[in-house]
Amino acid sequence: MENKNVLVIGGGIAGMEAARRLLQLGCEPVIVEQSDHLGGHVAGWHKLFPDMMSAPELVEQMAAGLDGVTVYYRTRVANMNRLGSGYSVMLSNGMSLQCGAVLISTGFRLFDASKKEEYGYGVYDHVVTNSDLEAWFGGAPDDRIPDSPARVAFVHCVGSRDLKAGNPQCSKVCCMTAIKQAIEMKEKFPSAEVWCFYMDLRLFGKKYEDFYIAAQRDHGIHFVRGRVSEVSEDIHGHVVLKAEDTLAGTPVKLNADLLVLMAGMLCNDDTQGLARMVHADVDSDGFMRSRDNIYRINESNRPGIFFAGACTGTKTVPETVAEARAAALDIYNYLNGRD
Amino acid sequence: MRERFATGFDPFVLPFLIGMVFVLGYCFFGIFRILYQLPKDDRRRFLVSLITPRTALKNVWDIFCNCLLHVKLWKRNKLLGFMHSSIAFGWFMIILLGHLEVFIYCPERVHLFYYPIFFNYFVAENESTIGGAVLFFLMDFFLLLILTGIGLAIVKRVRSRFFGMRRTTRPSLLDRVGLYSLWAIFPLRLLAESFTAHISGGSFLTIPANWVFRQFLGNDLNLLPTWWAYSIVLGVFMVVLPFTRYMHIPAEMMLIPMRNAGLRIRHPRKGFAKVQVLSCPGCGVCIDACPMSAQKVNIKDCTVYLNRQIRRGNEKRIEEISDKCLLCGKCEAVCQVGVEGPRMRVAQRSARRYGLTPDFAAIDTAPLSRAASAAFSGAAGATGAAGAAGAAAGAAGVAGAAGAAGASGASGVAGAAGGAGVAAGAAGVAGAAGAAGAAGAAGAAAAGVAGASKVAFFSGCMTRLTPSVGKAVCSLLDKAGADYVWLDREEGLCCGRPLLTAGRIDAAISLIRKNEEVILGSGADTLVLSCPICYKMFSERYALPGVRVVSYADYFDEFVQQGRLRFEKSDICYVYHDPCELGRGCGIYESPRRLLGQAAGIAEAEKNREESVCCGGSLGSLTLDFAHREVITRKSLENLYSSRADAIATACPLCLSTFRRYSDRPVRDLAEILDASCRL
Repeated sequence: MENKNVLVIGGGIAGMEAARRLLQLGCEPVIVEQSDHLGGHVAGWHKLFPDMMSAPELVEQMAAGLDGVTVYYRTRVANMNRLGSGYSVMLSNGMSLQCGAVLISTGFRLFDASKKEEYGYGVYDHVVTNSDLEAWFGGAPDDRIPDSPARVAFVHCVGSRDLKAGNPQCSKVCCMTAIKQAIEMKEKFPSAEVWCFYMDLRLFGKKYEDFYIAAQRDHGIHFVRGRVSEVSEDIHGHVVLKAEDTLAGTPVKLNADLLVLMAGMLCNDDTQGLARMVHADVDSDGFMRSRDNIYRINESNRPGIFFAGACTGTKTVPETVAEARAAALDIYNYLNGRD
Repeated sequence: MRERFATGFDPFVLPFLIGMVFVLGYCFFGIFRILYQLPKDDRRRFLVSLITPRTALKNVWDIFCNCLLHVKLWKRNKLLGFMHSSIAFGWFMIILLGHLEVFIYCPERVHLFYYPIFFNYFVAENESTIGGAVLFFLMDFFLLLILTGIGLAIVKRVRSRFFGMRRTTRPSLLDRVGLYSLWAIFPLRLLAESFTAHISGGSFLTIPANWVFRQFLGNDLNLLPTWWAYSIVLGVFMVVLPFTRYMHIPAEMMLIPMRNAGLRIRHPRKGFAKVQVLSCPGCGVCIDACPMSAQKVNIKDCTVYLNRQIRRGNEKRIEEISDKCLLCGKCEAVCQVGVEGPRMRVAQRSARRYGLTPDFAAIDTAPLSRAASAAFSGAAGATGAAGAAGAAAGAAGVAGAAGAAGASGASGVAGAAGGAGVAAGAAGVAGAAGAAGAAGAAGAAAAGVAGASKVAFFSGCMTRLTPSVGKAVCSLLDKAGADYVWLDREEGLCCGRPLLTAGRIDAAISLIRKNEEVILGSGADTLVLSCPICYKMFSERYALPGVRVVSYADYFDEFVQQGRLRFEKSDICYVYHDPCELGRGCGIYESPRRLLGQAAGIAEAEKNREESVCCGGSLGSLTLDFAHREVITRKSLENLYSSRADAIATACPLCLSTFRRYSDRPVRDLAEILDASCRL
C-alpha cells in the first residue's frame, strides 16, 4: 500500500461503517461531513424497522468504532482531481489531502413534500412528513401534531414513483416506514383511527410482511389502495383527503386530524457535482452509476472511486451497512493492487 | 392607339385562358360547395352579413388590408410584410391597371379575359400621350415592385434566417411547381413587354430594356415566344393553384367574410373548417411559435402541418397532430390569416366516437347551491336558524343523492356509490355550510361598506391542487370585506373544460348545465375565478343571467381602484408569465400587471403577452408525455429567465405547479404575492 489515505465523503451510516472497516484493515480513512454530526438521516430517526431498534443508539454504537479516524465536520469537498495513482483533494476548510482512493457515501436527500402542493405540506396546519414525525417520536416538539388525534392518515409514495414529480424510482423504505409509524401512532393514541393510502405495498424484507399483517390484525390500521388526489382543509382545521379506493372502485373522502406524507428519496444534488470533478457517471435517475447493478455496485467507472449506500440508489439501513463493508474491502484490495 | 390585330386573338393566350377558366370554375364550385356544407343557420348568417352594409364594408376593408397590403405581417416583420405586399398589391394593381387600359382604349374588348393581361401585345399605344405615359409608368412601377418582392422571396427560400425565421415549411412537389411558376411570371412579363416596347410603348423599365435588347437582337423573332412563355407560366400557376398552398389567395377572401359574420367551426372538415384549411398559406410562422417545436420530433405537429395533412387526407397524422397539441393558441395569435389552430384540433377530436359517455344528469345540485346560498351574510343575518336548517337539509340531500352508506359520516370515509362525481359525505357539506356561514357572518359588518354584492368564489380543480392559491384568494376577499362563499371548497363540479378540449362536447355541456344550476341556485351575483381555464369556460360557454363572471385579477384590480385593497411594494422583482388561457384565451393582460406593479417590482420576458410561451402543463394535450412537456417547460422558463427577475409570477394554478417543478427561482401566484404584501 503506497498511499493508505482514503477519503470518505459523507459521514452517514455508510461512511461511518466503511471508515470503521478501513481502519481495521490498516487504512487511514478521513471522513468529510457537511453537517456537525455523524449518522446522517439515521441520526435523526427514532426507531428502525423491523426490530424497532433505536436509531441514535445504532449511530452511537457505530461511532464508537471510529477512534483514530479523522472527521472534518461542516466541511465539503471543494475540488478533487486525479494525481498519479490517487486523488488530490481540496476541502472547503482549506485542508488538502492526497489519497489513494475515494469513497462516495453521500446518501440521499428527502423529497421536498411541498412540491406536491396538492397535499398541502407547508400550507395546511396539520400536514407533516415521515421525517418530521420521526423527529417528533424522538422528542422534538411539533405543533402540527395534535395532542389527541382522532384520525391519522398516511400517504405513501409522495415524490416516489411519480413522473410528475420527476422521480420514477421507488424509494423502497417508505412502505415499511409508513406501517411502522402507523403502528407507533396507534400505540401512542390507541383510540385513533389510522389510515394508509398506498398504490402498492412493497414489503420485500425479512419480517416486513409480519409487520403488515400485525398492523391490520393487531392494530386495526386501515389500508386503502389508491392515490390521494387532493387534500383540503375544513374550517376546523381538519385535513380533508379525497382519493379513490381502487379495490372497491369508489371515491373516498376522509377527514383527518393529521396527515403524514411519506416523502421519498432523491439523490443528493451535491453528489452530481462530485461526479463531475472526477468524471464519474451519473445514472438516468440522478443517482451515481455503478459499474453494474449486480456484481460491482460499489465500483464506479473511474479507478479509485467507490460507492457505498444510497448515493447509487435507494437503500435500506442493512443494505447500506452491508455495502459499506463490501466497499471497505474493495478499497483495501484496490490499494494493495488486487482486483 | 391602334389595335395590332383585328381578330384580337392569338393562340398564345390559350394556356392562360385555360388556367383562368379552370381556377375560376374551381373557386365558384368550391364556394357553392362550402355554402352547401354550412349548417343552415350559419349559412343564413353568412349571406345576411354579406349584404349588411357594415359587415360588407368591413369585409372589403379587411380583404384590402390583409390580402393585399398584409398589414398584420408588416406589424410582425417589415421585410416579410414588404415582400408579400409588394407581390400581392403589385399584382393586383397590374391587373387593375390592365383593365383600366382596356376600358379606356378598347372598351369593345372588355369581355375578353386575356386582353388586360396581354394588353401590350394586342394594342400599340404611345407613351407620348399623357394617358399612355401615366399608365405605362404605373405598370412599370408596379412590375418593379413585384420583381423586388420576387427577389426577396428567392433570397428567403435560400436563407430564411435573413427574414428572422428560424424554421420554415418544406414545400411539397406541387407547391414547388406553383412557387417556381410564380417566380417566373413577372420576369417573363418584363421580357415580353420589353421586347414589345418599341411597338406598343413602355416606360422607365421596359424602354431601356428594349433598347438594350435591340443592341444585340436584330429582329422581333423572340417577341412571340416570350409572350407564349408568359402565358404558359400563368396557365401552369393557375392550374396548380387549387392543389398548392397558393389556394390561400382565393380562400382567404372567403375566410375573412365568414369570420366577420361570426361563424364558428361546426364540422371538423367541412364548411368553415375547410375554408380555414385552404386559407393556410403554409408560411410556417407557427412552427417557430409552437412551444412543441422546442424539440425536433414535434416540429411537424404544428398547425401548418395539420392543415397540410387535412388537405392530403392523412387520417393517422391528423389524429396524432390533433391529440398532441397543447391548445395554447399561440399559432392562432401569430397566424397571418387567422387559422384557428386550437379550434380546428378540438373539432378533429370531437369526431371520435366513444363507447361510454359520462352522464351528469343524475347529479343533484340542490344541496350544493343551498349550502352556498345559506352562507351569504344576508341569509345568515336574517334567520340564522333557517340557514342552519337549510344546511342540514342539504347535507341529507347529498347523502341521499350519492347513495352513501349511513356509516360514512361516522367513519369519516364516504364511499359515493356509482362514482357520479359528487363524492359527498354528509358531514362534508354541513361543514362547508358551517364554514362559509361563519365566514359570511364575519364579513357581514364589512359587507355593509362594500355593497350588497354576493360573491361566489369558484376555485376549480387546479386551484384545489395548489391550495396556497385558494387560501390567498380567500384572504384577499376577506381583507376587502367581500360577502363571499367558496363555492367548491368541499364539493364541486368540474367546469367542463377538460371534456371540451378532448372534443367531448355533449358531455361538457351536460356538466355545464349542472354547474349553472349550482351557481344560479346559490343566489350569487358575482362569480370570481382563480383559474383562467375555468374562467374562459365560464365566460364563453355558460349561460348565467344576472351573474357577473370575473377573473380574480380583474376583480382585485377593481378593489384596488375602489381603495378596498392596498399593497405595500416589496423589493422583489417578478417577471409575469401570461397564462395561455388568461392572455390569448381571454385577452386579460393589463390587470395582473397593474396589480403586480403595486405589490412588487415587475419585469418583462422577451416573449410576453400574445407571444407568451406555454408552460407545457396544458390540459389541452391528450398525448404529450412528461418528458416532452419537461422540455417545453424548461424552454418557457428560459424565456422568463431572460428578464433577469428574482422570481416568477403567474395567474394560473396550472402554470404555477408546472413551473414550480423545474424552476430555479421562486414561482408564485398573483394572489399569493398580493396577499403577502396586502396592507389593510
